[in-house]
Amino acid sequence: MRYSALSEVKVVDLTQYIAGPYATKLLADLGAEVVKVEPPWGEGGRRLGPFRPPARDDSVQPERGGLFAFLNTNKLGVTMNLQHAQGREMLLALLGGADLLIENFAPGTLAKWGLAPGDLLAKFPRLSIVSISNFGQDGPERDGILNDLTLFARGGWTFAVGEPGREPLTPPGSLAQYIGGLYGAIGAIQALMARDWTLGRGQHADISLLEATAATMIYEPVGFQYSGLVRKRAGKRFAIGPFMIVTLKCKDGYAGLHCVTDGQFEALCELMGRPELTRDPRFHTARDRMLNNDALLAIIEPFFLERERHWLYREGQGRGIPVTPVPSVAEVLEWEQTKARNYFETIDDPVLGRLRIPGAPLRLTSHRPVPSRPAPLLGEHNREVLGARLGLDGARLSELRGAGTL
Amino acid sequence: MTTLPDGKIRVVDLSMGWAGPLVGQMLAEMGAEVVKVEDTHHFDWWRGSLSMGTPQAQPIERAATFNTANRGKLGVTIDLANPRGLEMVKRLAAISDVFIENFTPGVMRRFGLTHQALGALNPRLVMISMPSFGSDGPECDARGYGNTIEGMAGITALTAYHDAEQRYMLSNALGDPVGGLNGMLAVLAALHERERTGFGQWIELAQVEAAIPLVAEKIIEYQLTGAVPRPHGNRHPEFAPHGIYRCAGEEQSWLALAAATQAQWRALVAALALEHLASDARFGDAVSRKANEDALDAELGRALAALPLDEAVARLTAAGVYAAPVNSASAIIADSQLQSRGYFVPIERAVVGTHLYPGAVARLAQSPLRANRPAPLLGEHNADVFRRLLGMSDDEIRELETAGVIGTVPRAYRTTL
Repeated sequence: MRYSALSEVKVVDLTQYIAGPYATKLLADLGAEVVKVEPPWGEGGRRLGPFRPPARDDSVQPERGGLFAFLNTNKLGVTMNLQHAQGREMLLALLGGADLLIENFAPGTLAKWGLAPGDLLAKFPRLSIVSISNFGQDGPERDGILNDLTLFARGGWTFAVGEPGREPLTPPGSLAQYIGGLYGAIGAIQALMARDWTLGRGQHADISLLEATAATMIYEPVGFQYSGLVRKRAGKRFAIGPFMIVTLKCKDGYAGLHCVTDGQFEALCELMGRPELTRDPRFHTARDRMLNNDALLAIIEPFFLERERHWLYREGQGRGIPVTPVPSVAEVLEWEQTKARNYFETIDDPVLGRLRIPGAPLRLTSHRPVPSRPAPLLGEHNREVLGARLGLDGARLSELRGAGTL
Repeated sequence: MTTLPDGKIRVVDLSMGWAGPLVGQMLAEMGAEVVKVEDTHHFDWWRGSLSMGTPQAQPIERAATFNTANRGKLGVTIDLANPRGLEMVKRLAAISDVFIENFTPGVMRRFGLTHQALGALNPRLVMISMPSFGSDGPECDARGYGNTIEGMAGITALTAYHDAEQRYMLSNALGDPVGGLNGMLAVLAALHERERTGFGQWIELAQVEAAIPLVAEKIIEYQLTGAVPRPHGNRHPEFAPHGIYRCAGEEQSWLALAAATQAQWRALVAALALEHLASDARFGDAVSRKANEDALDAELGRALAALPLDEAVARLTAAGVYAAPVNSASAIIADSQLQSRGYFVPIERAVVGTHLYPGAVARLAQSPLRANRPAPLLGEHNADVFRRLLGMSDDEIRELETAGVIGTVPRAYRTTL
């Protein structure tokens, strides 16, 4: 769904793949006008998948991977070849009325094209530029490459996941890219507010994916300095500590248990039909439960193993114990709670057809959000945006198309 | 210059743990005056994180988690269950711009601290509620924490080794920071809109709904293919090598390594001087490498076990191959790129002394965010806030303390996280 809180904000979006497009999607979902500028061959995110089987065939259809369909809703799509002088002129014309330019090229790319952020800010005093990059706009490894595996590893997410006797286990998917996108969207509004409330002009915001990833690891780097202890992998346990936070096998899959407070422990003992455990000197206080964690786990594990995960969820939650039935994404789609709240939104994608996509998490209750527009086809809004806004007529547009600029 | 006019935007932060407090912390980085409200009975549960070491004096001031998530805030204590305390919170809300809470649905209603009530006192107030699963729906009363929210979003089911069934939680309770970042975005959008409309509003943010978009790719894959996505562990569904390998040296020297293209594979083989693999038919192209991944991992594992981690990373990154150390807590602080950009900032905090804390992520060139102020002690700013903002006299403040409505001494150490 699309809100209108940022309806007067104009964004020129040069981003590609995941982190950048997620940042501009968040702004588009809040009502900003986002003009997605792609090269005439389409940004790389179109080819990321997932695809409808049979397997993808780039030569037949550059439109489109399923993730692209999610990350680019509510945006207008235009094409411009920024390696051509004419393409750059069109971009400058667009920037004339824009509040934000958001990009996630390799650092130095804009400058190489004669579009250095400093020059753009001087030319357009109301414009702010948000740059999202692997390592930031400076530092010795500014130009280094990253993928999900190495980003998670270096940002600290991987070290403490998995079995103590095995290699660490990487988190799945591209989770950290979305964190970078969130910081990008927040940084964009922060720059807008600074312009309007204190500075009177735009500025450059520099966001490093590595720093965004490390920023979510507040347990480790600070905790280590306080205690001198490096957190290690604890297998099915979240960590070794005065709590029982654990992912356990049950009859039909896995369930997550978060048992931390005395109240939660008492409720768990009751659920297991073992109220006497609360008086057991091994488990009396949190500190006792930490020192005798193995013994406690040996009691809980068989209880979970003999029960179904949804029973554990229902009965546990009924007693105030945070339990999760570790649903698959298929189950998340069918979860009654998300259905009752109309969380997933159905879009009619022009290529992929009907898709249910995650909705905007924030609910601005003074608004009546409108349905999302599907992600743009390549150059879908060239005529509307370039024609109307830049005063290019049909003949000029076809000329530019012929020259490879559009 | 701060991003917000210094001290002109005021925030009342009743939230606890991480997701809600992150919103207040990020607003403080922008220059807002953030008043964190706790109670000497019900202080932030993250203060209660027990140290793994021996018990020490003032344990609630020694939690790294609390002391990180509440930086830059003023700390006050108010007993909400006391009518005079409740009145104080309402008076704070009446002169503030943002009100943050992340209790389970119904708690604020019981105290009469709904947006409807507070908005009547202050129509410009932006209030955000951050329940785990939403404030309505059949399971809105279920409890969630960062880890279980991550589970409910479908992330845990995707986290497993490629050759085993056991599922794992992530190590950062991801549901919390994702909820907080979405909350921050929402509050900024509402503050921005308020300049145009003149009115605040109530924002509802279900933390699980903030986490689900992070696996959008898998949700769409399921719809397009009809197959429930499986975990891939450290492997990549399409190419090899893509994994984590032990290096020489310390026991926990692990290398994350991937070669996505044929050029990267050739560069990898050259960088590690494994020319015999280049001519091995089992590893000739992406398809055969993927088909023979166990053998490939064994070969790479042998070669890397003889190479120190730093050297492996240096050689491979110079060759243009994806390579990174699997950073532990201590290694993150020492990371060369993070250090060169001054990412971690030293902060002196009472009771615990000076440590490095993660800095602000968005580097705003002209109005830098301020992540360098400490978290408050319990009730540290009672006198300042109640005098300056509520116009109370020293006598009144003393009397409230005697009556137990405010205070600086925790009245019960509970076992909480």
